[in-house]
Amino acid sequence: MSERKTIDARGSFCPGPLMELIAALKLVQIGDEIEILSTDKGTVNDVPEWVAKVGHEMGEITEKGDHWSVVVKKAK
Amino acid sequence: MTTPPLYIMLCSADRDKIQMAGMAASVGAVSDRKVHLFVSMGAIKAFKTGLPASDRYQPSPFSKELQSAGVPDPLELLKQGKMLGEMQVHACSMVIDVLGWEMESLEEGLFDGVMGLTKFLSDAEQGQLITL
Repeated sequence: MSERKTIDARGSFCPGPLMELIAALKLVQIGDEIEILSTDKGTVNDVPEWVAKVGHEMGEITEKGDHWSVVVKKAK
Repeated sequence: MTTPPLYIMLCSADRDKIQMAGMAASVGAVSDRKVHLFVSMGAIKAFKTGLPASDRYQPSPFSKELQSAGVPDPLELLKQGKMLGEMQVHACSMVIDVLGWEMESLEEGLFDGVMGLTKFLSDAEQGQLITL
């Protein structure tokens, strides 16, 4: 059964949220999801770009007031 | 199509440029791209082992803002890139000779060795070269 883990990277500057996401993805199983919370404006563009390049799957991107929630599913 | 490797020649000790080198190298390495960083000239002084972060980088146009905002430390970014992706870091043999340094003089866990400029430039013909 797949699981979701949330990483709170609010306050971290580029490329901190992306690096935290990648480190977290290394530790979970295929099919699991990582939700990254970020105040870095580049995250909403950088993460989908990275996900498309390396072959994972994008989930929802949601603006939550002062930050974004970006969900990535580990696909390989 | 395979992405060509990214070659970064870092010569400046300015915080701005070392920050960009750390960002470009780490993001490149975690994006399934081989990254080769070559550290030469004054930049090598920022990589001396045992320096506190406050003394490591030279002031530059954006260094105060980077420091006060608390952006990720460039050397830590490079270490993350090496850990999570495929990155090689070499010190320029000429500056190591000029300073009389050994590998042990350099920040631990970051450098793969010492390399000459000719070899680096020859390797860089296969990829994209950025100079900072």
